[in-house]
Amino acid sequence: MALIFGWPLLRYAWLSGHADSVLTGLVPVANGGANWLRLLSDQRFWVDALQTARFGVVSVGIELILAMAIALLLDQRWRGRGAVRALTLMPWALPTTMMALGWRWIFNTPYGPIEQLAGSLGAGPLNLLSAPSLTWLVTVLADVWKTTPFIALILLAGLQTIPDDLYGAFRLEGGTSVQALRRITLPLLTPYILLSLLFRLAQAFGVFDLIQVLTGGGPAGSTESLALYAYLNAMRFLDFGYSATVMLGGFVLLMALIGLGALILRLSGLIRPLQT
Amino acid sequence: MTLELRSINKRFGDRDVLRNLDLSVADGECVALLGPSGCGKSTALRLIAGLDDPDQGSISINGENVVAIPAERRRVGMVFQSYALFPHLNVRKNLELGLRIRGSRAAERDERISNILEVLQLQNQAEQLPSQLSGGQRQRVALARALLRDPLVYLLDEPMSNLDAQLREELRPELKRLMIGGSQPVVYVTHDQQEAMALADRIALMRNGRIEQIGTPQELYHRPETVVVAQFIGRPQMNLLKPQNGVMVGIRPEDIRLDQQGVSCRLLSREWHGASQMLLVESERGPLRIVCAGDQTISEQIQVNWERSDEHQFDLDSGRRLSD
Ligand SMILES: Nc1ncnc2c1ncn2[C@@H]1O[C@H](COP(=O)(O)OP(=O)(O)O)[C@@H](O)[C@H]1O
Ligand SMILES: [Mg+2]
Repeated sequence: MALIFGWPLLRYAWLSGHADSVLTGLVPVANGGANWLRLLSDQRFWVDALQTARFGVVSVGIELILAMAIALLLDQRWRGRGAVRALTLMPWALPTTMMALGWRWIFNTPYGPIEQLAGSLGAGPLNLLSAPSLTWLVTVLADVWKTTPFIALILLAGLQTIPDDLYGAFRLEGGTSVQALRRITLPLLTPYILLSLLFRLAQAFGVFDLIQVLTGGGPAGSTESLALYAYLNAMRFLDFGYSATVMLGGFVLLMALIGLGALILRLSGLIRPLQT
Repeated sequence: MTLELRSINKRFGDRDVLRNLDLSVADGECVALLGPSGCGKSTALRLIAGLDDPDQGSISINGENVVAIPAERRRVGMVFQSYALFPHLNVRKNLELGLRIRGSRAAERDERISNILEVLQLQNQAEQLPSQLSGGQRQRVALARALLRDPLVYLLDEPMSNLDAQLREELRPELKRLMIGGSQPVVYVTHDQQEAMALADRIALMRNGRIEQIGTPQELYHRPETVVVAQFIGRPQMNLLKPQNGVMVGIRPEDIRLDQQGVSCRLLSREWHGASQMLLVESERGPLRIVCAGDQTISEQIQVNWERSDEHQFDLDSGRRLSD
């Protein structure tokens, strides 16, 4: 296992210590820490890192809250629940590229339905896909739409591990259902929340196809993610050594972000239910 | 009569789970709901607790109809079959949670909890999680939680069914001491007739969502109203002789004695229990179980007899007792 997962990482680590581009005739030549030094002072890397983190944190945050609401709803008994459960998973089952193309059309200026609607309301062209301060929100929206169902499913699985009797016992102790949410549901769901948080944050940090198809990283690089930048370095600039460095740099930042999150959780004592 | 259920009906989907259930339990009285699993015992408790609503009928506690009162304000102390301890909280916090919610002050809380931990010998487990406790300890935490509720009614749903036989016997007197015979009515659900006999003042024998018979353990034992009750109460089970003229005759194994003048039987098998032994014999009236003294010597061919007055007669079709 360690080998399967570790190998590509080791390969990148090795590559990031080498110059491997058209200039070296695509033959890796060791260049000390030159790639890493370049990374530290590469403004585009840091801007992209911030944009990626912004995308990840905001979309995963919204997804968690929405998914929680959906999971709680789907955990109740009501007619037609089974069908709705299956339906909610649809966005997730759709290939990302298809979905991204769909959103691109929806936000298209001037033909997409959003612009049509805005136009008929007299709100003028919104140009949501070419407004550097707003376009990243469209990428967040697309990501939320696609992955919320998946998180909802994980949380639902977690909710179903909580025996009904616990809610009964809690009510008999004098607690209301709102109090039960805080005292019973959330603490017992914590492992599932953390799991989806970790899982989704890692995924969002590597976001590529969604952005590539929806905005191509634009406008003006305002939605470019680290994966996109690494891809650019490899495929357009044919600089494989530096591409590997960008990739690894992003990975290190992600680990730092997760480590920071874990530290905060541990300090706030929220992680205790995990250790039982 | 402080707990009173009147003509309760409850359906789940197209299934009648409780049909026309009437039950009243006096202060300090313990009534056992006894019956096979699936007969609606837990459902009856959940209705009393307010965790489910009856389709029809009324439930009153101390004369007040509580059907419209939500579970969180009904003041019942319930012990669930699964115990339903909060798995993420240690014993102390499990007990504290309800007190906190109900707004008791910190000092009072601490005192009541340390008292109850002592009464139930859980002092050393206070900081442990439910998953770290033995079955018996979990059960005691569940009891403690119900006691701390200051309830108007105690509801116990097969509180011993997850414990081994020895522990059960040890815990019975404890249960009596703590909950039964106080000032609250107690409804004790079980499928174990021995437990019901040992703990309850009255037993309500349930079948298919109905009460088949309700009465003291002695009444159910000596004068079962139906064949079902006769077979459910008393171990080993009552013998049913081959029916004659539409009448089924039952005789308890312990009412049969060895007697040279009696019917002759062939011994099939024999279980020795120490003070007593159980014989299985074949007679002209069908197979019979017999309980006799453990030191009695038994041969292959024996003669047995019983008093006519010990016979129970039931109508073959309805299964109802024929008046003697
Ligand atoms: N919430 C429910 N939904 C549907 N059926 C139920 C529900 N609760 C209980 N039942 C059914 O009602 C019947 C009686 O259940 P229960 O009261 O738990 O029996 P007991 O406690 O005597 O074993 C069972 O057949 C059970 O399947
Ligand atoms: Mg039950």
